[in-house]
Amino acid sequence: MGVGVCWVGRLSVAQVSVLTAMEESITFLHSSDWQLGMMRRFLGPDGQARWGQARLDAVARIGDVATSTGAAFVVVTGDVFEHNQVERQTILRACEALKRIPVPVVLLPGNHDALEPGSLWTSAQWQAHAPEHVTVLTDTTPLEIMPGVEIVGAPWRSRRPLSDPAAPGYADLKPVAGTTRILLAHGQLTSLSGGMSDVPTIDQAALEAAVADGRLQYVGLGDRHSTTQVTERIWFSGTQEVTSPEEDDPGNVLKVTVGGGEIEVEPVRVGAWHMVDHRAELFDEESLQGLEDWFAELPEKERTYVRLAGDGSLALPLLSRLDAMIDAQGEVFASVERWAKFWTVRPAPDAADLDALQLSGPARAAMEELRQALAAGDEGAGAALSLMHRLARDAG
Amino acid sequence: MRLHSLTLRDFRGVKDRTVRLPALGTTVVVGDNEVGKSSLVEAFGLIFDLPDDSKSTRIRDIQPVGQDVGPEVTVELSLGSKELTYTKSWLKNRSTELTVVDFDGRRMSWTGREAHNEAERLFHQHVDPVLWQTLMVSQGQSLVLPTPADAEPLITAVTAESGTPVDGASMPLVTAVEHEYLRYWTRGGRATGDFARSEKAVVAAELTAAQALKAMEEVQQDIRRAERLALDLDDVANRLTDHLTSVEELRERKKATDEILLRRDSVKSRAETARARLENHTRTRVERERLLDEVERFTKTDAELIERRTDAETVAKTAADMVHAAEAALAEVVELKDARRTDVQEAERRVSELMDRAELDRLLGQQTELVDVRARIAAAGTILDRIKVDDALVAALEDAHAAVVEARAALAAGVPEVSVRRLGAEPVELSGTGLDAGSGGVPAELGFDESAELLVSGELVVGVPGQVEVTVRAGGEAATLRSRVDDAVRREKDLLKKAGVKDVAAARELLRKADTASAELHEARRTERSLTAGGDPGERIAVLTARLGPDEPEELSDQQAAVEGVPGQMSLFEEFVSPHDTLFDDFELPVSEPDDLTGAQRALDEARDGLAEAERLLRDAEFAAAQARKAADEDRSEAQNARARAEIAAERLAAAVEALEVARGVLDDEAVAAVEAEATSEVEAVLEELTGVQEQVDAAGADQVAGELADALAVAGRLQGERDTLRDALRTTEGRLEQSGRDGLATRRDVAELELAAVRSEHDSLRRRAEAARRVFETLSRHRSEAQTKYSEPLQSRIESLGRSVYGPSFRVWLDDDLAVSERELDGTRLPVEALSTGAQEQLAIITRLAISHLVSTGEHSVPVIFDDALGWSDKARLRDMGALLGRAGDHGQVIILTCMPDRYEYVPKATFIKLDA
Repeated sequence: MGVGVCWVGRLSVAQVSVLTAMEESITFLHSSDWQLGMMRRFLGPDGQARWGQARLDAVARIGDVATSTGAAFVVVTGDVFEHNQVERQTILRACEALKRIPVPVVLLPGNHDALEPGSLWTSAQWQAHAPEHVTVLTDTTPLEIMPGVEIVGAPWRSRRPLSDPAAPGYADLKPVAGTTRILLAHGQLTSLSGGMSDVPTIDQAALEAAVADGRLQYVGLGDRHSTTQVTERIWFSGTQEVTSPEEDDPGNVLKVTVGGGEIEVEPVRVGAWHMVDHRAELFDEESLQGLEDWFAELPEKERTYVRLAGDGSLALPLLSRLDAMIDAQGEVFASVERWAKFWTVRPAPDAADLDALQLSGPARAAMEELRQALAAGDEGAGAALSLMHRLARDAG
Repeated sequence: MRLHSLTLRDFRGVKDRTVRLPALGTTVVVGDNEVGKSSLVEAFGLIFDLPDDSKSTRIRDIQPVGQDVGPEVTVELSLGSKELTYTKSWLKNRSTELTVVDFDGRRMSWTGREAHNEAERLFHQHVDPVLWQTLMVSQGQSLVLPTPADAEPLITAVTAESGTPVDGASMPLVTAVEHEYLRYWTRGGRATGDFARSEKAVVAAELTAAQALKAMEEVQQDIRRAERLALDLDDVANRLTDHLTSVEELRERKKATDEILLRRDSVKSRAETARARLENHTRTRVERERLLDEVERFTKTDAELIERRTDAETVAKTAADMVHAAEAALAEVVELKDARRTDVQEAERRVSELMDRAELDRLLGQQTELVDVRARIAAAGTILDRIKVDDALVAALEDAHAAVVEARAALAAGVPEVSVRRLGAEPVELSGTGLDAGSGGVPAELGFDESAELLVSGELVVGVPGQVEVTVRAGGEAATLRSRVDDAVRREKDLLKKAGVKDVAAARELLRKADTASAELHEARRTERSLTAGGDPGERIAVLTARLGPDEPEELSDQQAAVEGVPGQMSLFEEFVSPHDTLFDDFELPVSEPDDLTGAQRALDEARDGLAEAERLLRDAEFAAAQARKAADEDRSEAQNARARAEIAAERLAAAVEALEVARGVLDDEAVAAVEAEATSEVEAVLEELTGVQEQVDAAGADQVAGELADALAVAGRLQGERDTLRDALRTTEGRLEQSGRDGLATRRDVAELELAAVRSEHDSLRRRAEAARRVFETLSRHRSEAQTKYSEPLQSRIESLGRSVYGPSFRVWLDDDLAVSERELDGTRLPVEALSTGAQEQLAIITRLAISHLVSTGEHSVPVIFDDALGWSDKARLRDMGALLGRAGDHGQVIILTCMPDRYEYVPKATFIKLDA
């Protein structure tokens, strides 16, 4: 199971001061949780296709950022792929996207693409198509990515690790003077998980101790989809493209400059999509208009998914209008979805509505019966009443 | 609407006709066929439908045939409060004129197209087309039951009457609801269209998703299996490594102990050699001892066997002599037995011959007797052939004779008996017929004193020539009696002739003789059969004669001679068997051959006894000879064995002596013992050395090292096998995982779940809409049905009210949703209208229209009820009731009836009859 769901409150990203006198510094990019091959049922087939391509485009944009920032290499801290058993097309397209990154790329297997038996990383498909400048960390052996810069990592070897998944990456290390050491790890922090994780978590205190005693100069973490600063040198980069409305500030790549005892971390946006939740109180025409205005103001509608929560009751004509509005916005946006768990908008027919239809005889009696049933709590009567109202209005 | 008048000019066959109609009441327009009744109705439709410039074929059809004239119609009618005069002519002289006078007397006129449009507008404003079509019954349509549900005036009327709100304005909604319902459901309530397809799509997507999920679960299982296998493989590999280290240590130990083992092997080898040498010398010594023993033993045996051979040869010679004597005695007894067998054969031949002769004598006597019997048979046969009399013939003769006597007695009693005696000299001549003189004939002339007693059954003429002639004639019965006598006599004669006798007595005698001959013949034949029962004696005689031959005495002589020759042989035998005299004491040979059978039989028995005795002697002799031969054979064999054993013993002794000499030539007896003792000492020394080396081996544990190494290698092999198995299983599982990776199973699962979520979402949406549609449809239908029931009640009660005037109080009807009558009940029997008779259906259709007319009559949208040629299927009683009904219907509106059969409507009260002339 993915653990990238943001279920805690928003964390503020610290403003990083720009170092003015960083000697022998190195700049690299930190990203994670690409989860290529991921699918989102709420997007529908068309939205899914466009969103999937957007995630690859965001990877390509990381290459642009690397060029523009002069980054020496790119590290990806886990969950590059959604599964080990993604389709061939996903692997090939990922390889093509990686080729768009002009600097060395180091990938860390995470919980989604663990280095378990049958792993994608050991497959013939990956090995046949992986670009040469891409390195997959398959053990904890330090990788000297360039002189004076060592990358150590703790790849996930199973989806069910038995202990702190980051610890093997730095447990036996000693500080080495003149060497900048970067730890790549994947998992939730004990301090952020609230004890709710069903897999072992990363000991933040131990990480901070390793940073403090000079064993590690930067800790790049993955698994959390929101860009999150844990400490000055410990960061979750977040996913390159949003995957859920719950995520907080996703769609960034971290530009990290480290050296001379200093560090500078800067989130650079590469994502293009938005996933938003919106809650609306609907009880009259004005509130309905407010919702329409909210929709109208949203930018990049074709790349935006809206999960709509609603509460209140509407007269039948307004309810019909609401339905029509949501249907229309669904055509404009990538997807607009009623959030079933938080959707409690009810029809509220009154005698005036029925009079306006100028119905008589059995039709009037039938509609009145449905109205009374709704008032008595019969939910099915509400839909029937709305339908009958619409048909009567159209027929009239 | 009320029709006031209708004028047709040049319309089909009508030149110019105006029909004026009362505004209220029932009008019957009567006219023959082709006078234009139906044209009135047609003209009314045309004037409102078609403008005067219409090119419709309907206009062409109404133009009189062969006339270049334009048809013209003028109609005067009321529409609401307006009075209209509307004239239209087509084709030639096209024109349209409309004059409307309002209720306040305001008059307006239009011409041309405007007139047409205004007339049309006014018509449709005041006349509901459905009601108009319902109440105007064209020719031939009187059977059609009206379905007036869409007739607004009717709905308005029944709604007003029932108090139920008008539903007409809701019809578009009803249609829309039904349309919406049918998008998702069939009328039977099954899902259809996109909704049904989405249900199937969900099922298919669920299946696909389940399969994809299962495939991924199998992948997960494979991953866990591979992880487990990898752990197990590491464990086995570690254990194998540890074990291979132990193997190497054991190999080093073995290398160190191999030298001691080699030395032990060397000492062992020398010990084996010394032991072999000792065994060799021991064998030599044993062999020498054996040879010495053998020579001694064979020497003793040889002497014993020579003595035994001599004894055996003596016994054998004695036995051979005894055999010779026994065989000689046996030969003698054989000869004796052959002689006795010859005697028996001779005695048997003699007995047989004597028996044959006795049989021949018997047969000869029998043959003689047979010849005699056959002569008797022939004689009796001759007699019987000659005699033609039998019991029946004699009986018939006796009956015939009795009949003659009886007839004659009757004749005598019934006819005159004339006794004539010649008394004188004159001849008395008798003649006549039917005369019977008893046994003699009737003399022609009587001698003197001769008399004749005559029975006269005919006519007797007694004449004395020249003197008298007396004629006696018998009476009427005489002839009959005479005839009977003649018949009886004739029959008797015939029988006598047949029997060949002169009278009955002779016949009886012949019969007696025939019986005697027959008895004789029977007896003779019985005797013949008994004589020939065993076959023809002649043949047996011939056989026996041939067998015995003619020279019997000579043969007997030969036999006798043969017997007499026996004593010579006997003497020979006696001489031979003299040592056994007692055996032959009772044996005697026959001296002569007896002539009689008894004697011969006795001689045979004696000969057989002699043969039996001889055979007994032979068996005894054979036994004695066999015993003697057997004893002699045994003794001879014993002697031969003794000789052979003695020879063998001598040879073995010679060989043993020779072998001993040869052995001694190689090594004498003392030397043999010495070399054995030397070899023994050598063996003991080597074994002592071997014990010392073995102690060294044991101390080093050299023997165990090899075993431990072998065990360790076996365990290593097993661990390697286990490792290989795990490695293969891991490779297989990884291969599957590699394949599942190539197949993109996770993507497939996600795609399948995505698709499932999509179709489920679509289906949920459709289901919500479908359920809503069904809820609306069912709710609305229920309310409509309830309303329908309510506003059908006025029409139903009106139909029943009118119908009861025709059918009586049990008449009831039920209406369907279209307000059409669907069922009718009469006298408790409820039937669908389709099951009613044609007449009843037509009456029901008329009643329903009158009821509708009645209901709408008070409104401004009422229209006339027009029947063109109806009531064609009703009987007279029904015509009366229907007529009354039609008449009453006129009280509430305008009823117009067009007919060519005015008598159908003669019972319509208060009707206005308008006759159309041709």
